[in-house]
Amino acid sequence: MEFLQAKQKQDPDLFLHRMWIAGQPVMLAGYFSLIDLPQTMMLLQQQARHAADSERPLSALASGLGERIDRADEQAVFTAISDGCLLVVPEAECFEGYLRIVPVSRTLSRSIEAPTTESVLRGSASSFNEDLDTNLGMLKKHMLSDLLRTRSYRMGKDQNRKLTLIYMEKHTDSSLLKAVCRKIEAHLDKEIPDLIALSEDVFEFPKWSLVTRFNTTELPHNASAALGQGKVVLLLDRYPFAIILPSMITDVFSSVNDRNYPLLLANAVRLLRIIGVLANMLMPGLYVALVSVNPDVLRIELAMSIAGSREGVPYPSLVETLLLLFVLELTLEASIRLPKSIGPTITMVGGIILGQAVVQARLVSNVLIIILAATTIASFTAVGFHNAITIRVPKYLLLLLSAIFGVLGLFVGILIVSAYLASVKSFGVPYASRWKNKRSPNG
Amino acid sequence: MDKSMQVIAVYLLSHIGLIFFMYPTDIIESLSVGHWCAILLGFACHVAVIAIYTKGLSYFKSQSIIDIFAGAGKALAWILLLPVSLYFLMMLILTVRAYAEIVTIIFLDSTPLWAVMALFLAVAGLISFMGVEAMFRTGLLAAILFFPLLLFVLSVSFQNADWHYLYPIMDKRSASFSFVLERPYLLSFFAFAGGFLFLGFIPPYVPYKRRAVLWTTPVLLPFFFVSVYVPLLTFGRNTAVQFQFPFIMAVDTADISWLMFDRVTMFFMITVICFALLFISLVMWKTTLMIRRVLPFVRPDLASLLLAAVVFVICLQIPNWKMVERLFWWNTYLRLYVVAVIPLTTLVLGIRRRRKGAAGI
Amino acid sequence: MNAKLPVRIALKSMTMAGMLIVLCGCWDIRDINHRALPIAMGLENKEGIYRIHLLIPQNTQSSSSVRIVSDKGSTINEIIDRISKDLELEVDLMHLKVIVFDRTFAERGLGDSVSSFMRSRDIASKTIAAISDESIGSLFQTLKSTSTTGGLEIYNFFEKNAGWSPQLAQTRIWQIFQSLHSFTKDVAVPIIKSGESTTMTSTGSAVIKNGKMVGRITPEETLLFNAFNGLSAQGKIEVMNHAAVVIDTDRLSHHSSVKGGRAVLNSRINLKVTVLETKGSPTTAMVKQELEQLLTQNFERMFARLQAEGADILGVGQFFRNRIPRDRLANWRTDYYPRMKLNLTFHTVIEDEGLLKMKP
Repeated sequence: MEFLQAKQKQDPDLFLHRMWIAGQPVMLAGYFSLIDLPQTMMLLQQQARHAADSERPLSALASGLGERIDRADEQAVFTAISDGCLLVVPEAECFEGYLRIVPVSRTLSRSIEAPTTESVLRGSASSFNEDLDTNLGMLKKHMLSDLLRTRSYRMGKDQNRKLTLIYMEKHTDSSLLKAVCRKIEAHLDKEIPDLIALSEDVFEFPKWSLVTRFNTTELPHNASAALGQGKVVLLLDRYPFAIILPSMITDVFSSVNDRNYPLLLANAVRLLRIIGVLANMLMPGLYVALVSVNPDVLRIELAMSIAGSREGVPYPSLVETLLLLFVLELTLEASIRLPKSIGPTITMVGGIILGQAVVQARLVSNVLIIILAATTIASFTAVGFHNAITIRVPKYLLLLLSAIFGVLGLFVGILIVSAYLASVKSFGVPYASRWKNKRSPNG
Repeated sequence: MDKSMQVIAVYLLSHIGLIFFMYPTDIIESLSVGHWCAILLGFACHVAVIAIYTKGLSYFKSQSIIDIFAGAGKALAWILLLPVSLYFLMMLILTVRAYAEIVTIIFLDSTPLWAVMALFLAVAGLISFMGVEAMFRTGLLAAILFFPLLLFVLSVSFQNADWHYLYPIMDKRSASFSFVLERPYLLSFFAFAGGFLFLGFIPPYVPYKRRAVLWTTPVLLPFFFVSVYVPLLTFGRNTAVQFQFPFIMAVDTADISWLMFDRVTMFFMITVICFALLFISLVMWKTTLMIRRVLPFVRPDLASLLLAAVVFVICLQIPNWKMVERLFWWNTYLRLYVVAVIPLTTLVLGIRRRRKGAAGI
Repeated sequence: MNAKLPVRIALKSMTMAGMLIVLCGCWDIRDINHRALPIAMGLENKEGIYRIHLLIPQNTQSSSSVRIVSDKGSTINEIIDRISKDLELEVDLMHLKVIVFDRTFAERGLGDSVSSFMRSRDIASKTIAAISDESIGSLFQTLKSTSTTGGLEIYNFFEKNAGWSPQLAQTRIWQIFQSLHSFTKDVAVPIIKSGESTTMTSTGSAVIKNGKMVGRITPEETLLFNAFNGLSAQGKIEVMNHAAVVIDTDRLSHHSSVKGGRAVLNSRINLKVTVLETKGSPTTAMVKQELEQLLTQNFERMFARLQAEGADILGVGQFFRNRIPRDRLANWRTDYYPRMKLNLTFHTVIEDEGLLKMKP
């Protein structure tokens, strides 16, 4: 009791409220910011009245209201309070300990909305939000199965963060599950403020990795499909994405929603995405290779028109390309930061005015503008925003290689990228392999 | 898990990487008529060697050839494997040097040779360093990415073929196989003999089915035929024999008016060079494996770095193309040894082991 | 995995750093706008001194023009080097599309220069060869003064999907090179000169034997030559006494035999034609008969002349590859070809008569 009052002095958000329940004085303790006090009190009164009607003492009532905590266990008290629970402290001496009650809490989460980073054309469109229980509930709604299993962890020493691991019995490969659980259980004391912490501290993935080792999705639909495939899904409290382990190269090209289209169309779309990703990586490099190292590969008509369009451009094609790519990356980054209402303006200014002016000022060739515009568009054919930003990186390697070795450099660059993708493994599952539902133990 | 697909992909790619540059030159030089005899004979040897080799390996359950030979006695292992590692080293030097030369001759005439060799060794070293499993997955990825391009160019290459050049079908010389022991024909064996040894090195890491590999060998045959017959059909033997790289010249004559690119040869050559790079990294990996067997304290990354450096330095010492050709010829002895002795020894050891096993029971 | 990580980063960054150094020590990489890309090269040779004319298109974003650069010297490479040195651009012959030889040069022999073109990787082996009937200087001047598309005319003139017509032979450098070494193949190289109202006109084809021009055939004969080679004569108009027709498709069949040391080739050319124009009112049977007669006559005349010249531009020797052993085929041009018998029959089908009816 005293330590609660001491605590209140440090933290004005903590309330200690007196009230009478079933004729006995009690003290309520909790956070203003997390608990809707009037509603909760009404609820308590109501329950107390019911209990009084059936003529039971508070001590008996206690067990019906909530969970009991020993008076001595200070840590448990604070944990309960910071979790947003209401503590009932009976002032009568006949009752030892506290009662932990689930109150009516304030709504501190969004309601369920449509996804913001993944747009769905044909498929369920509700997305995860910050509340772990809501997320879990949504996932369960999508996955009506008695095979669904969850494991709950609390991560971190100073901050408690809930982490829930979900998998499907019989579908999930046991070695993968074991590996994931072992990693989590070995690092229960690690704080996970962000995904990098989860990836580096908990799962011990290499720091400098181009490929995200786990897939994130906003859609319960995607998460449940992943579960059905035998992957493991993690839900982190206050993180409106489900984390799917392990991620595969196929995730870049195919989305769950594709299965809502006829197979032929779905495959055509996947092919398109593969071409898009390849185009995004290759085109700037190809331009530089063809313009400065191997112009003999081009047809004469093209060679002449490119030579014409580069007339008066004062620097080599590598610098030209890097310059424009840099401007494009800036535009992309800026349009994420800007409010939605200003976004289109930036697109206008960046795309049309700047593009037009830059060509007329002979700072870059207009062929390059076309190529880079196509490149940027192509980069977003990849499924998932995290993949779309990942594939922005290798094109610089290819660009550099092709500036030095021409088309040879470009192809060798592709080989290097393939080799890199092939070397990535998470939990023993190679990134560049096909996901199989039931895999044999050694992968 | 069975990774036959990856093994097949690497098997195909590494051979295709070797076929298209030097092989047609040697075959066209060795015969004036009836080149198919020469191709088929070489190919038959290839299949036989692979069959013997994999049969021998199949007696040992997922053991690499180093383990197998070491199991038969340390001295034997030294005697057998020393030439093999020497052969690998030669092969590395020759392939890197020859392909760099080809690249500078054909399309990067202003790029210095050392830069191309450095690129090859850096990439091959990187891939071999990433480990054998990653290498095999890379092989599969590269096959998926590059194969359509390769097949396209191969089908285009028939554009200027004059089928009358098929005749005459054969003459006395080709029927009597008198060409077999001559220099150009023996040189041509490097396309057959270069790539198959890896099948003995990978079983502990990348398991595969023997039958699957044997069944894919015929897939390679059309590539051998195309590489020799496209220049023959386009130019005729008399003209084709004048060229340093007949197949490249033949593809160069193809004119495709609807493509935005003028020289499809370039793309073809580069895909083939990428395949060759995979082959180089495979050989590098095998060599480092053997080095580490002898000197176990060397770290794997250091081993491949050292190997690349040594190969680079030796490559720089080769002054001209004549020297490359001479080295190729010297390497032929080692190659014949590798083709003949290693598979047969493996088979003999395998049979002996089975006998012993049977006696033990 | 984790222990390897720093090493891997070190390796990677070392490779990258190495590459950057390589980049800084940059070799001769020139951007496309700093290269002159000649589209046609004219080659003259007077008493061992070469004279080279280069037709270089010059494009800017808005306009296109052509310039001609010429120089002389004792080797081709020397001249190109000198031109590169004097020009503000680097000459890159990779995009060369047409090489025009002077006629007197062709009569003396193209062998050496064609071999050197094949040897150097600068010039694509599929460059088209042509022979100029007038002085190359004046031909190029006409090309320059009439050009509207930056000099592409001369390329389009020979290009199959552009201005090529079947009266024009199409021969590439590698084919000439092949004919230098082949037992049985000679080539026909188009002869061009500047036209009166058009930029260029073709005045037939040169018959090249062992790299030397030994005779010439007319454009009409070139058409027959193309038809014999299966380069379908499609779209070609054939003028006769009574009608003009266009050849739709042609199909060939050959049968070769050697009788008593004499080569005999029975060939049959099936033509499908469409009537375009008539004079008077001929019947289809008449048209058909006249056409066959005319073609046979023309062909036989041409073949007799070619036989006399000993130049096998039709490549008939190819049909005997399986009849005559290789060691004797080496003497095809001297032992067999002049005495060879070619039985050629044209078989025509009049596919339709256009939109007007005709008498049967």
